[in-house]
Amino acid sequence: MNRITYTSILIAVFVALTPVWVAAEDPDFDTILSEIDDLANFADSDFSAVYTIISERPGEEREVTQARLFRRDLNDQFLILILQPEVQRGQGYLQVDENVWFYDPESRKFERTTIRENIQNSDAQNADLDRSSFSTDYTVQSWQEGTLGNFEVYVVDLEATSSDVAYDQVRLWIRRDQTIVLKEEDFSVNGRLMRTVFYPRYERVGNKIIPKQVLIVDELNDGERTQLTMTDATTQTIPDSVFSKAYLERVSN
Amino acid sequence: MKTLLKTVLIALRNLNRQKRRTFLLGGAIAFGIAIVTLINGFAGSFVENVSENFSNLLAGHIFVQGVEKTAAGKEYRTIADDGILLDIMTEQEMPVTFVSKRSEFTGSLIFQGESIRQTVVGVDWDEEQYLRERLVLLEGDFENMLVMNDRGERNGIILTEAIAEALNVELGERIIARMRTVAGQQNVGEFVLAGVSYDPGLFGQLAAYADLSYVNELLTLQPKQYQTLGIFLTDLGLIDQEAERYYEVLSQRVNVFDRAVEEDGQNPVEALFEQADEQTWTGVRYRLFTLNDVLSEVDEIVRLLNGAALVILLVLFVIIMVGITNTFRMIMYERVKEIGTMRALGMQRPRVQVLFLLEAFFLAMGGVAFGLVVAGIIMLILSRIYLGLDSAIFILLKNGYFTFTVRPLQVAMNTGIVAALTLLAAFLPSRKAALMPPVDALRA
Repeated sequence: MNRITYTSILIAVFVALTPVWVAAEDPDFDTILSEIDDLANFADSDFSAVYTIISERPGEEREVTQARLFRRDLNDQFLILILQPEVQRGQGYLQVDENVWFYDPESRKFERTTIRENIQNSDAQNADLDRSSFSTDYTVQSWQEGTLGNFEVYVVDLEATSSDVAYDQVRLWIRRDQTIVLKEEDFSVNGRLMRTVFYPRYERVGNKIIPKQVLIVDELNDGERTQLTMTDATTQTIPDSVFSKAYLERVSN
Repeated sequence: MKTLLKTVLIALRNLNRQKRRTFLLGGAIAFGIAIVTLINGFAGSFVENVSENFSNLLAGHIFVQGVEKTAAGKEYRTIADDGILLDIMTEQEMPVTFVSKRSEFTGSLIFQGESIRQTVVGVDWDEEQYLRERLVLLEGDFENMLVMNDRGERNGIILTEAIAEALNVELGERIIARMRTVAGQQNVGEFVLAGVSYDPGLFGQLAAYADLSYVNELLTLQPKQYQTLGIFLTDLGLIDQEAERYYEVLSQRVNVFDRAVEEDGQNPVEALFEQADEQTWTGVRYRLFTLNDVLSEVDEIVRLLNGAALVILLVLFVIIMVGITNTFRMIMYERVKEIGTMRALGMQRPRVQVLFLLEAFFLAMGGVAFGLVVAGIIMLILSRIYLGLDSAIFILLKNGYFTFTVRPLQVAMNTGIVAALTLLAAFLPSRKAALMPPVDALRA
């Protein structure tokens, strides 16, 4: 076999194998996580919506909490104002920069809290309503392909880059045909599954796609679950004054 | 002098003449003083007993905590290196009996669908004997706390009776704890119920107790780290003085929180914690507080108790005063002829008045003495009754017994008030008796 023939065969083999090699390449999860964040974050506009949070606990009546969320992701600000039940009406959570404050109109006092605190008695946390930040808060540890219902998904294991997030480890089920999260498992620092979050329905708001319905299943306490439903979502501009303690005090009285 | 002595003797004789009346009036005074002395005595030992009991539960008289704060404003409570803290204690030759090292978290305890918020305190069971002596176990054993699971963790937990009942959990059963690490991340602990402690009801809300090493592990602290250093002194009375000495040296060597920042009516510990919220710093900053700071409201209760005792004393004696005034007026009319005779025999007006006032004074003093004896007997009886460490009011008791501390100055003040009020009550009748013309008196 002369030298030209040998080279030609090598080139042919290389060309023939290239699609296989490309197909086997790892998906770019940094990009995928950024896309997930981008889809749920409102960098160019404000966002507000009403969330109905239904909490179920074994042996107890279900609790319904309704809250209006105001978000300005550009400045990392949010305000959650409790509308229902009547006894908690006017309570609110306000994030300004790194500080999250809880306001109780009964005591007329602001208490420092964190984005990782639960909203009222539910399993939902302030962070669940805040902007998504998977791409900055986590790194991909491993992944595999799988299916969830009728959807082909990537099952991706993430680990927190710092202790600033509530859950040290997270497993995501991400649709392969469309970059949205269908399911999420949150693990404790010592690796125990704490809650499973399902995202069965999404809604387009402006040019973003955000979960319309979220089901949070408590994996530590059997039978405890929380369902969040979003309504009245809008990207209309919110007045600056809304993201202030004074606003919370005013609307709560 | 001889005249005064005679007057005193006549006054005593007069009191003795009407034994029943003297006994009733003196008895009323004695009743009042006994009640007030009992309240004062109880209040006197209240602070001491509450402080001592709390010091055993909180494991110390002086407390030091290390706090770190990140640029993001997050606080971490941890003492990573206690070398300096312990060195200062030794250098200052502090009268220390014991040093405790504790960590704690507040989270949800979960058992078969039931969930309850609870503070879980990590205790070094090998070292802390105080807690074993103070915590009354209804079920289980402290030795269970030393048992390791197959992962080498001492994951026993002692719950109060109320919490164990609320969770419907029994000895040996596993309880899940949902909690946060020092950095605020979610974590899960798995405890085994090792003991059920007595729940003192009114003063309940006792923490659950677990092993320090396991609590540290859940908080993601290193095994040698902890959150609160508790210093037990030999005497409760030394707390403020020793804390000041310790703080002075501590503030020269490490970064500390200011201890004197509370606003009017604010708890000093609350003020210390608020500083951490409001300020930023780098590295570890230490905060020092004392049992007296924690129990500053107790002083308020004692002030209220003593105030109430004084009000009771005054109300009782206003009523008694009316009785004394009426009685002395009656005495005056009964002894009109006697007064007339004494005056006719040369007794001067002031002496007549002094005679009446001395009668009133002796009556008051007799009543006070009797009242103090009665109060003493009641205190003696009450302090001999063992109510136990599992009593609903154990926090007010000393080792399960009532104790009373009667301060001499307070007794002197109460006696003075009683004497003054009695003399005031007897003043008008005595004056009227003194001003009575002898002729009119003899004619009556």
